Amino acid sequence: MAEDLTLSSQLSSFKVTGANSRTGYLRNGIGDILPIAPLVIFLLVFFLWPISAVFVNAFKDNDGTFTWSNYLLLFQDPYRRAFYNSVRLGIISALTGAIPGALIALIIEKIGGNRLKKIVASVSGVLANTGGVPLAFMFLAAFGPEGLATLSLKALGIDIYGHGFTLFSFWGLVIIYSYFQIPIMVIIFSPAIEAIRKEWHDASQSLGASNYQYWRFIGIPILIPSFIASFLLLFASAFSAFATARAMTVGNISLVPLIIGTLLDGNLTVNQFNLGYALAMGMIIIALIAMIPYLIIQRKTSRWLH
Amino acid sequence: MTSNALKISGLTRRFGSTVALDDFNLEVGIGELVALLGPSGCGKTTALRIIAGLEKEDAGRVYLGDVDITMRPANKRNMGMVFQSYSLFPNLTVEENVAFGLQMRKVNKSQRVNRAHELLELVGLNSQSKRFPHQLSGGQQQRVALARALAYEPEVLLLDEPLSALDAQVRANLREEIRRLQLALGTTTLFVTHDQEEAMSISDRVGVMNHGKLEQIADPNTLYNQPATAFVAGFVGVMNRIPTKSQNGYVNIFGKDYEAQFIGSVSEDVIALVRPEKISVHASTVNSNAKLLMKSFLGSSTQLTCQLSDGLVIHALSDSQECNNLELGSLITLQYNSKKALVGSV
Amino acid sequence: MAPLRTKKSTSLIARVFLVCVGILVCLPLIGAAEFSLREGGRTKHSFHAYRWIFEQEDFSKTLLTTLQISLVAVFVTFFLMVPTVAWLHIQGKRYLRFVEVLTVLPLIIPVVALATGAALALPAWIQSSKYILSMMYVVLAMPFTFRALDIGMRGRQLDILVAAARSLGAKWWSIIFMIITPIILKSIFASIFLTVALSLGEFTFAQLLHWSTFPTWVAVAAQGNILGATALSVSALLSAWLLLFSFTFFDRKKQNEAK
Repeated sequence: MAEDLTLSSQLSSFKVTGANSRTGYLRNGIGDILPIAPLVIFLLVFFLWPISAVFVNAFKDNDGTFTWSNYLLLFQDPYRRAFYNSVRLGIISALTGAIPGALIALIIEKIGGNRLKKIVASVSGVLANTGGVPLAFMFLAAFGPEGLATLSLKALGIDIYGHGFTLFSFWGLVIIYSYFQIPIMVIIFSPAIEAIRKEWHDASQSLGASNYQYWRFIGIPILIPSFIASFLLLFASAFSAFATARAMTVGNISLVPLIIGTLLDGNLTVNQFNLGYALAMGMIIIALIAMIPYLIIQRKTSRWLH
Repeated sequence: MTSNALKISGLTRRFGSTVALDDFNLEVGIGELVALLGPSGCGKTTALRIIAGLEKEDAGRVYLGDVDITMRPANKRNMGMVFQSYSLFPNLTVEENVAFGLQMRKVNKSQRVNRAHELLELVGLNSQSKRFPHQLSGGQQQRVALARALAYEPEVLLLDEPLSALDAQVRANLREEIRRLQLALGTTTLFVTHDQEEAMSISDRVGVMNHGKLEQIADPNTLYNQPATAFVAGFVGVMNRIPTKSQNGYVNIFGKDYEAQFIGSVSEDVIALVRPEKISVHASTVNSNAKLLMKSFLGSSTQLTCQLSDGLVIHALSDSQECNNLELGSLITLQYNSKKALVGSV
Repeated sequence: MAPLRTKKSTSLIARVFLVCVGILVCLPLIGAAEFSLREGGRTKHSFHAYRWIFEQEDFSKTLLTTLQISLVAVFVTFFLMVPTVAWLHIQGKRYLRFVEVLTVLPLIIPVVALATGAALALPAWIQSSKYILSMMYVVLAMPFTFRALDIGMRGRQLDILVAAARSLGAKWWSIIFMIITPIILKSIFASIFLTVALSLGEFTFAQLLHWSTFPTWVAVAAQGNILGATALSVSALLSAWLLLFSFTFFDRKKQNEAK
């Protein structure tokens, strides 16, 4: 009963008003951490414990003795290849999301009235949450060989299948991911653009800067940290996406999340369970490399643009 | 050939149906500090922004010396501008902010760093040169903004309510510092503010604006004692407005007649405009014409709030020593101490 | 910001660009909707595929499962997060930063890795209940629910309000339900909404922990009937969008009223 614990512990901390008596002091000390205990315990059980288990078991072989071999396997094909593909997908998908998304956010801020801004914000909010299997099928139906989108593009003289393109491919995934990556970028990058003050442009003008100089010395340097942070977040989102990729690549591109999924389906030997844990640790490490700078930059820029 | 640093003629600007500036004219002499004072929405900021080139005018011309700069873009006008707040570039250090104008003018690095330090020394912030704007207090930020606007020796310095976002104490200090710097460097300065104390205390001349027009421009003393329009009379300083009658060029105040100085048209029903410090207050039981409602101690002087027998509330300013004996609620006699009285129409 | 005096031509290019973006957004959806209405050929259209959805026994079964899971996730989120974040704002300000960092961690770890760990570590009696998914969804939504509640309480000076309420003799339960909850009602709705949206669409955990939920059933059903799967996807997307839109609309309206 986590909720009862929280409420009663709050009750106790409300009642303790001063530290003038010794019991009061003691109760204050316990009441101090008790209210956040349920949340901490919840995260310990459902988050930190699973993650630590992955970490520990990745160092075990079939008999449960310590080994590096699971990690060493990550540097060999096909797993090395899978990591390469996943990272490449993350980077390219982050770029195809970040650049158009930043442009849209800039244009909306520059020419958009309040109504357009609201519409774009709502639509982006909705599309950013669109993913998984339904997204994959939507694209398959529209851009399949017989799909309406394919046929209308053909009518306009663009034959997307003319050059051997298929949605069941790396670039197919990049295109499908952009359907949620671009809106995510619009959402997370817009605040950075809105935080740019009119005074900075005015001041640069009165100090003698041209429009170009303003963007070069002020505008772009101010936006770069937010852009990098957004890029990292998009990278992480594409790098670890599972559902859409699983629906779209029936074994023809090897990506780390898909391999883990297959290993965990349980048709394989125990040995490969441990390999799955090492793969998961590999993903966590790469995600950490991307997300920790993201969080640091986020904090820094929020102080800048207060 | 003029000796003006800045001349504005016939400036007009409309936003939709509202007229922000209506045939606005102004001349600022070389090395002069002129304040534009007015209530919010009177067009003073619009005027400043048009002079800076940050906004377009619908009609009128702006001259820098004898040169018509109306068509010149903002970044070629060589004016320095300080904004209300948040105008420092957050990605540049204090030093880089101050050097920015010189960088745009292609001054080499070592020269502009030296000049930036010179200016920061002037505003007392040399020790902060490597910091970023968000690490400074509001007052320090405005000092840096001032240093930045002066670094490249602009022909005109434009100040757009530079003190209004600051605390009272900081505001008073910085205001004096602006004046000190302006006098030392001899920079022609136009200063927009809605705070009359600010405008009156540091300006050579103050222009009072209302509804996009310049009501009066004069030195602070003239503005206070000889307002040219009823608006100026009411806007600058505290003014008692006493409805009364005029006859043969005389006007009756607190039961006595004074020579009337009319602002606007002459008529029988008028409003006498009386400064609080021109009213003396005496305790009296006979011939009393008012009652004391409140005393507000202001230091050397005390503000007295009095109510005339007809209900009108009058503010008087009296030496604190002299009004010690006045009791709240007691009957008093008010007297106007001047030969002439300003009179406005109803 | 808006650098002033945008040239007419740039403005035109920008507008054309936006229209293109709009078309690109609509094209897949319209294409998929049209495809799902086909019956046999390219010319004949009907709601055949949509009727097929309702004929599937697993449709209502998995949908119900998913709704149950999301309901439990909402309850756990509410009772775990609201009192904790409220306490952090009232008395535990020095722990606010610590909890903020703690709750953002699930954003960093890839879902696949966390699911792997859950399958590995959590004891069988937890794993044998489908509500393990609820717990995991509470964790997944936490970076967002914490932020929503934190922002909702920030600047509301809850500590002063609570001190005032206590000095007037209020009990702890009236403080939570009569003071805190009404003040942050919008944030509570937002976090409930986030949790529901996440639970309804989540695929990875359900798949890796071998639970049959609505999203995993869609993937299975697709292998048998591509038209049906498209119809399912279109209706799933449309109802999710409708839900999200109505929420953002509600949210905006609330904001306007607050002004």
